[in-house]
Amino acid sequence: MLPATPARGVIVRSRWAYNVLTFLMVFGPGLIVMEADNDAGAVSTYIQAGAQYGTHLLWLLLILLPITYFIQEMVVRLGIATGQGHAAMIYGRFGKWWGLFSLVDLQLLNFLTLVTEFAAIALALQHLNISPSVGVPIAACALTVLVLTGSYRRWERIVVFLCLLDLAWFILAFRSPPTVAEVVRNTIIPSIPAGGLNASLVFLVVGIVGTTIAPWQLFFQQSCIADKRLRFADLKWARLDTLIGAAFTILVAGCMMMTGNAALRHGFSFTDPAQMAGDLGKVLGPWFRTGILLLMINAAALGTTAISLSSAWAYGEVKGWQHSLQKSVKDAPGFYGVYVLCVAAAAGLVLIPRAPLQLIILSVQVLAGIMLPSAIVFLQLLLNDKEMLGVRFANKPWNNVVNWTIIIVLFALSLVLAVQVVAPGLFPAG
Amino acid sequence: MIRENTTDVRDFLVVHPLDDVAEQKVETKHLGPMRMTPAVRISLLALRGYLVLMMMLLLYHVLGMAGLLGKI
Repeated sequence: MLPATPARGVIVRSRWAYNVLTFLMVFGPGLIVMEADNDAGAVSTYIQAGAQYGTHLLWLLLILLPITYFIQEMVVRLGIATGQGHAAMIYGRFGKWWGLFSLVDLQLLNFLTLVTEFAAIALALQHLNISPSVGVPIAACALTVLVLTGSYRRWERIVVFLCLLDLAWFILAFRSPPTVAEVVRNTIIPSIPAGGLNASLVFLVVGIVGTTIAPWQLFFQQSCIADKRLRFADLKWARLDTLIGAAFTILVAGCMMMTGNAALRHGFSFTDPAQMAGDLGKVLGPWFRTGILLLMINAAALGTTAISLSSAWAYGEVKGWQHSLQKSVKDAPGFYGVYVLCVAAAAGLVLIPRAPLQLIILSVQVLAGIMLPSAIVFLQLLLNDKEMLGVRFANKPWNNVVNWTIIIVLFALSLVLAVQVVAPGLFPAG
Repeated sequence: MIRENTTDVRDFLVVHPLDDVAEQKVETKHLGPMRMTPAVRISLLALRGYLVLMMMLLLYHVLGMAGLLGKI
């Protein structure tokens, strides 16, 4: 039975303190969902963009800032209004076929993405002279213990701390920075880098968009908000949390590009972030190399916990299991079982010699291309469902104009990515 | 639930969402499947078309990798 009065609270004397404290209590899901999206794949993509094109693609990040915010803001409204996760909503409102399609696609895409996270951890560990066969299982165990404490708050605090560790990207970016004028110019004025529109650039642009907006984010944030039991009155603070998260993530992504730019400035060619860290370490010091490798591991760890949780929440919602970080393992065995299975299977796959990692990365791109537009269409339709949400939480006309524009652009980009993957040679070679 | 203290207007009680009384959310259980308005129907139709197109592209790629396209 639910209590009639709050279990505990804090009394403050001023409206200002009240607002600040309330915001701090609500703060978390927005920052986590955004920053966890700067995962291992994102680190690789942004650094590659910087290493190949310098700061020329910074403008793209500026465009992606409002796009990520507007999409996740819809998720916030839906989560707070219904107190339910995204997977349960799709099942309930669009029927079993679409529900199953979304769930299977999400689980498959999430699992393949998790494999890439652990592959990045293994790669970084190798360059730190730590055996992946030792380091990867330790990382998997640590990420499992993180959620098994039966406390949402404990998990959230640790993960927010991991998010804030990404501030170290600023130090790396400004170790060998381009001029301020160059950064400002390339952020504000969209431009095509020297070499023109070729296959490599198109692939990278679509990759940047794809890595900045991922399907698991929709499922994760809505479930996270439901698990944290955010209230109607928290909506404005949850929006602010999401906006801060989006801005922080885009700034960190920009720093990753600027770190990649250092490789370009010093004449190193890009193969992968770990190799680039080694090259730059020779010029900028061993701490620079170690910093990039540790931040790669941090990015993969953040991605892993968020993506695995989005899978566990989604599966728990659809199956009707207990699915909350507030529950103990004994009370929610299925929910924690899915999480542990995702983490253990992905970590195990990476340790198999000659695992088809390239095929997995390709599959992630194709599946993301399929999943993202469909997930966003469901989100948009749910937010226009006035029968369910009423006028207060449903989209306003201006929301629809903005969101349908975003959806059409994402559809087009996903199609370009898919066509590029299945029919290489569409654009002139770079 | 976050409330102002009614006995002393200068006091504000801040409660963490997890410690607060659960509030009544929008009821969704009795609603059932969404009504198929023209906008919903067109959106789902477009989504189906997109998915079919993606599957065809994927099939084309797999056939190409298997070396079967030239033989068809």
